[in-house]
Amino acid sequence: MAEQNDILEEFTNSEYKYGFVSDIDTEFAPAGLSEDIVRFISAKKNEPGWMLEYRLKAFRHWLTMTEPKHWPHLHYPVINFQAISYYAAPKKKPQVNSMDEVDPELRKTFEKLGISLEEQKRLVGMESRVAVDAVIDSVSVKTTFKEVLAEKGIIFCSFSEAVQEHPELVKKYMSSVVPYTDNFYAALNSAVFSDGSFCYIPKGVRCPMELSTYFRINSAGTGQFERTLIIADEGAYVSYLEGCTAPQRDENQLHAAVVEIVAHKNAEVKYSTVQNWYPGDKNGKGGIYNFVTKRGICLEENAKISWTQVETGSAITWKYPSVILKGDNSVGEFYSVAVTNNMQQADTGTKMIHLGKNTRSTIVSKGISAGRSQNSYRGLVRVAKGAHHARNFSQCDSLLMGDTCGAHTFPYIEINNKSAIVEHEATTSKIGEDQIFYCKQRGIDTEKAIGLIVNGYCREVLNQLPMEFAVEAQKLLSVSLEGSVG
Amino acid sequence: MSTVTTISDTSAAFLTHFEANAGSLFGETNLRRKAAEAFAAQGIPTRRTEDYRYLNLELLLKKSFGFRTELMRIPTSDDVAKLALVENAIVLVIVNGVFVPQLSSVDNLLAGLKINTIADAVVTDQTCAAHYAKYANVNSDPFIALNTMLASGGVFIHVAKNAVIDRPVHILHIADNEVASVFQPRHLVVAETGAQIAVIESFESIGPVKSFTNALIEVAVSENAVLDHYRIQAEGPAGHLLSTVQGSCAKGSLYNTYTFSLGGAWVRNNVNKVMAQAGAEAHLYGLYLLNGSQVCDNHTIVDHAQPNCLSNELYKGVIDGKATAVFNGKIFVRPDAQKTNAYQTNKNVLLSDDASVNTKPQLEIYADDVKCSHGTSTGRIDEDALFYLRTRGIGQESARRLLIHAFAEEVVDKIKIESLRIFVEERITAFLG
Repeated sequence: MAEQNDILEEFTNSEYKYGFVSDIDTEFAPAGLSEDIVRFISAKKNEPGWMLEYRLKAFRHWLTMTEPKHWPHLHYPVINFQAISYYAAPKKKPQVNSMDEVDPELRKTFEKLGISLEEQKRLVGMESRVAVDAVIDSVSVKTTFKEVLAEKGIIFCSFSEAVQEHPELVKKYMSSVVPYTDNFYAALNSAVFSDGSFCYIPKGVRCPMELSTYFRINSAGTGQFERTLIIADEGAYVSYLEGCTAPQRDENQLHAAVVEIVAHKNAEVKYSTVQNWYPGDKNGKGGIYNFVTKRGICLEENAKISWTQVETGSAITWKYPSVILKGDNSVGEFYSVAVTNNMQQADTGTKMIHLGKNTRSTIVSKGISAGRSQNSYRGLVRVAKGAHHARNFSQCDSLLMGDTCGAHTFPYIEINNKSAIVEHEATTSKIGEDQIFYCKQRGIDTEKAIGLIVNGYCREVLNQLPMEFAVEAQKLLSVSLEGSVG
Repeated sequence: MSTVTTISDTSAAFLTHFEANAGSLFGETNLRRKAAEAFAAQGIPTRRTEDYRYLNLELLLKKSFGFRTELMRIPTSDDVAKLALVENAIVLVIVNGVFVPQLSSVDNLLAGLKINTIADAVVTDQTCAAHYAKYANVNSDPFIALNTMLASGGVFIHVAKNAVIDRPVHILHIADNEVASVFQPRHLVVAETGAQIAVIESFESIGPVKSFTNALIEVAVSENAVLDHYRIQAEGPAGHLLSTVQGSCAKGSLYNTYTFSLGGAWVRNNVNKVMAQAGAEAHLYGLYLLNGSQVCDNHTIVDHAQPNCLSNELYKGVIDGKATAVFNGKIFVRPDAQKTNAYQTNKNVLLSDDASVNTKPQLEIYADDVKCSHGTSTGRIDEDALFYLRTRGIGQESARRLLIHAFAEEVVDKIKIESLRIFVEERITAFLG
C-alpha cells in the first residue's frame, strides 16, 4: 500500500512535458467578442464577402444560444467569453519556401515538440513520411510536402489558403456536416475560427503519406478556434493525424475546434488524434478547456470513416467524434482511449447515426481514471427507420485507479428499425491485483506491470493508430500513468 | 433532474388545485406545502428534461385531465373478483386513488400483518408517521413532489419483526370514472427485521374514459427482511400510468421487484432502490410487451450508497406495431461503496418497422473496488433459431411465437407465485395472438 502511495505521488507530481512557452512575436486581437472582432478576423485574413457573411450569421446565432452546461458530466466555472482574445498569430509572415526562412523560435518550438520540420525535410523520398500542417495559436505556419502532394492532385493547405485558392470547394463542403446552428461551440467556432487545415483527395487517389496537423496554443489569454475540413472524393483514401500541445499556465484556456469529414462513394478516411493539451496542475489550476465538434459523413455507398483518439490532456474534454452513415453499406468506427488524472474531467464518446441500408458501426472506448478525475463515456447509436440491416457493436470499458476518481457511462441507443442489431457492453473494474502479482512474481516491477496491463487494455485502440502515432501514444500513456496504482 | 422549468398551464393547474383543497387532504399540510414548492420549482418535465426526454408529458396532461376522484360508480365485488390475480391473496382495492374497505379483505388478518388506510395510519400510527415520505425525495422528481402534494389515499402495510406472511397482499388499483381524471394513490410498506412478505400491485382500468394515475409506493425493507414486490400493469387503452417505487434496503435484506407492463396506453415506471446499508441485495426484473401505439418507459435507479451490496437487473421487451419502449437504468456507486457488485441487462426484440426502442443503461461509479457491468442488445428474432425450428417441421408463425415466448420466459421464470406466473403466461400467449 505504501508503495502504491509512493507511485501515485510520483505520478501526480509528474510534470507536463510540453509546458514551455515560446517567445514568438505575436499579433493579438483585443480581448472580447463582438461583430467588430468577427469583421477584424475576417479582414485580417483578407476573406471574401461570403465568408464574412457566414461568420456573422454564425455569430448572431451564437448570441441566441446558451452554453451546454446541464447535460455533460462536467463541472467548471462560467467561462467569460469577453475575456478571451479571439485572434493571435505569429507576426512574421509564415509563407516560406525553405526551412531557413522559418522563424528560429518557431523552429525550436517544433523541435521541442518532436516534430522537427528539418527532419521532415530530410525524410523526403523515403517510403514512410508524414506531411505536416502546423497551427500555432490561430494561424497555420507551415505546411510541408505540399509540392509532392500537389503532383497527385491532393490539396493539403491551411484553411485560409483554401478559402483564397479553392473557394468553390470550401463553399460546397464547409458547414455541410457541422452547421453553425449545431451547438454552442460550433457556432462560436464558425464565427471566429482563425485557421486550420484543409484537405482534398481527388477521385481514385490513395494519399501516399499520412497527413498531419499539429496544433499548439502558445500565447496567454487567447483561445484557439481552428477548423479542419477533409474531403475524400470517390474511391479516395487518406489517413489524417492530429496532435496538440499547449504551455503550462495558471489560467484556463479555451479550445473550440470543428472538424468536418466528407467521404464520397468507396472513399475511406482515417482520422487519428493524440490530444495532449495542458491538463492543469494537480490541484486543477489551469489547463485547457477542450470543446470540440468532430463529425464525418459517409455521403455515398461503401464509404468508411474511422476515428481513433488518444485523449490524455485538457482540464475539460467535451468531444464526440461522430459519423453519419448516410450511404448504403457505409462503415463508421470509433476507437478511443481517454485517460484522466488529478482534477481532469472528460466527457467524451461518439455518435453513430445510421441512415443508409446495411450500415455498420463499431465503438470501442477505453476509459482510465486516476487521481480525483472524472471520466465519462457518452455515446449515441441511432438507427433511423429506413436503415435496414444496420449493425452496431459498442464496448465501453472503464478502469479505475484509486478510490477518489469516477468512471461513468451514458450510452444512448435509439432504434427505429426491426432489422437492426445493436449491442452494447460496458464494464467497470479496477486494475487486476492478480495480474500485477503475476508480473511481479516474474520480476517485473509494479510500475512496469501497470504499463504493460494498461497498454494491453488499450491495445484494441492503439492498434488502430498509424505507426508514427502508435509509438507516441504508447509513450504518452506510460508517462500519464507512470505507476498509477497497484 | 432539478432542471427548472417555467411553470406551464398544467403545473399551475395542479398548484391551484392544491391551494383550493389543502385543508381537506390527509396528513401534515406542511409536508404537502414543501412538496408543492418542490413541484413548482421543477414543473411538469419537458423533452429537455433528461429523465423524461422521450415522453411528451405536457401534451398528455394538457388533454384536460381533471382532478375528480369521487367515486362515480363503485365497482361491484364481481368486478373485483374478475380482476383478482392470485388465489388466497389479501386483496386491497383502490378505486380512483382511494382505498375502498368494503371491497377489500382486511378482516381476519394473519398475525404480524397490519393493514390500515394511509390517511389514518399517518396520523394514528407512529411507525407509519416515522416512515412516511422519508424515502421519496420531493426534489428528485416532479412526480414524487406532485404525489406528495396531492396524494388522495392508499394503504399502509406493516409486517412485524420476524413475521413470515404466507399469503400475498394484493393492492388492486382500478381507474374508473366518467370524466378524464388524475389519480394519485400513495402507499407505504414497512417490513421489520427478519420479516417476509410478497406484495402484488396491479393496475387496471374499466371503461373508455381516460385516466392518468400517478402512483407512488415507498418500501422500507429492514435488516434481513425479504420482500417480493410484483407489479402487474394491465390497464385498458384509456389508462395512463406513472408508477414510482422508492425502496430502501437495510443490512442483509433482499428486495426484489418484478414489473410486468402488459397494457395501458402509456406507462412510465420509476423504480428506485437505495442500498442504504452494507450487505443488502436487490433484484429488478422487468418485462414489457407493447403493441399498437403504446408507450412504455422504464427508468430504474440503483443507488449503492454503502459497501458490499449486490444488485442485479434484467429488463426485456417485445415491441410490435407503432409502440415505443424506453429503458434507462442508472447505477450509482458512491465513493464509500467498495466491493459493490452491480449488473444490468436490457434486451429488446423489435417485431415491426414502426416500433422503436430508446435505451440508455448508465453507470456512474465513484469507487474503485467494484464489479459493475451493463449490457444491452436490440435486434430481431434470431434467423438461425427460426430456421432450425422450421427444419423440424414447425410452421413459421408458431416458430416465431415459440421463440418470443422463450425470450420472455427468462423474466417470467423469476415469478415465485404459481398462479401469478400462469396469469402472465396467458397474457404473453394472448399478446402473440
